Amino acid sequence: MTSTTHQHTASDLFAQALRYEHRANPYPYYEQLLRQPVIRMDDGTWLASGHREISLLLRDPRISADRLPPQHQRPIRKSLLVEDPPRHDQLRRLVTQQFVPRVMGMRDHIDALVTGLLDAHTSERAGQLDVVGDLAYPLPVTVICELLGVPREDESLFGSLARRLTRGLDPIDTQTEDEIRELQQARGELVEYLEGLIARHDATGGDDLLSGLMHSQEPDGPMDPVDLRVTLGLLLIAGHETTVNLIANGTLALLRHPDALARLRTDPDLATPLVEEVLRYDPPVQMSGRSTLADIDIAGTTIPKGSRVRLLLAAGNRDPQRFADPDRFVPDRPDNAHLGFGGGIHYCIGATLARAEAQIALTALARRLESPRLIADPPPYRENAILRGPERLPVSFTRLVPGAGEA
Amino acid sequence: MPTDSPPDARELRLVVDLNRCQSYGQCVYAAPDVFRFHGEEALEYDYAPDPRLRREVERATAACPVQAITLGRATEPAPLASEPVQ
Repeated sequence: MTSTTHQHTASDLFAQALRYEHRANPYPYYEQLLRQPVIRMDDGTWLASGHREISLLLRDPRISADRLPPQHQRPIRKSLLVEDPPRHDQLRRLVTQQFVPRVMGMRDHIDALVTGLLDAHTSERAGQLDVVGDLAYPLPVTVICELLGVPREDESLFGSLARRLTRGLDPIDTQTEDEIRELQQARGELVEYLEGLIARHDATGGDDLLSGLMHSQEPDGPMDPVDLRVTLGLLLIAGHETTVNLIANGTLALLRHPDALARLRTDPDLATPLVEEVLRYDPPVQMSGRSTLADIDIAGTTIPKGSRVRLLLAAGNRDPQRFADPDRFVPDRPDNAHLGFGGGIHYCIGATLARAEAQIALTALARRLESPRLIADPPPYRENAILRGPERLPVSFTRLVPGAGEA
Repeated sequence: MPTDSPPDARELRLVVDLNRCQSYGQCVYAAPDVFRFHGEEALEYDYAPDPRLRREVERATAACPVQAITLGRATEPAPLASEPVQ
């Protein structure tokens, strides 16, 4: 009976970790889950929390990215996020070819956007800033819109759609019936919006990513209208709902670790390893999902073929088998092979962009805010359990110095 | 490009453990002057990059998901690529 007690406990712990009242700090539950790096849950799904086990599963060819429950309605066309080779590789290659050249050399532009967003609040007197609403949200949204070729004015429309859709990623039993109904509606509205956008998009002009995908001369291109719409939706939502949490979680870590904040203020080179540590310590994407295409022997157990597996990335990032002192925020942590961007063939396509945005935003905050203080600790959190982060992050300061002269 | 830290004039020495490398390409994005893809998958890199590229190289080192890049100085013996951590 020992093993059933264990299984029961793991399911309970996972349910606890997902509860909204534990959103600000699910980590103590992850720590307990880590005692068994791979475990079967009461509902027949599997949970992997160990760093080594997650790393292995992410790279295992017997794993599929299709993570939908069997009873779930299948999408007409799968996005590359949930697609497997060879179709995944064709789609990803097309996106990478368009995405990477545009992201390279964007640092100066991101720097200018950050400067502009903070300039709007420059003050010689004490004041307040909502780091989410004033910086962490508008920055990645502006960047992704520019990159993709989506009008910034449409933000109020697809912003709320993105928000409703990402809530749909959370485990179904944590969502209310109203939320599920809303989700169906949001899916339809997004399809309509994206189809209109693609139709309106200047078929000849523009050097944005949407134009690039429409006219790709590569062997796998151009994308057909359905793939185009699905891919565009994925990039738009991913660009919307993840980097915001990286910047907000990073700000939160800095304000809770004033020594790290002081170091970043004088040493901009610290930004690089510091952002990696934020991705480990408090990752914007807490977990991912997969399914098994064959029986997989791992960690002394066998995950049967056809199982759904949750990969608890945020737990793997705190695995004491892999990281010394895992619950400590160490801004210059060496050998930081975190799982914050996933791994294997689905490794985050926007990683480079997200890193640049977070490095620049956090450095600017550290330099320009004098005596910053969290107004509420913990801050209010968003409902989402998987794409997890603060809803607002009000910070008080004694002065917000001008950005001019920034080197 | 920010150039606020004085460039470290000492020569850099770069080692990439190609057994660990999984072609994520993060180094290619972080330091395109030092790392590039040769064909579809094979990584090429400059083992003694210009010291002025130090910042980009450090970014590439931090960005590598499997920590396959080791950065040292030419005045020190070339670092051995470390074994995968278990």
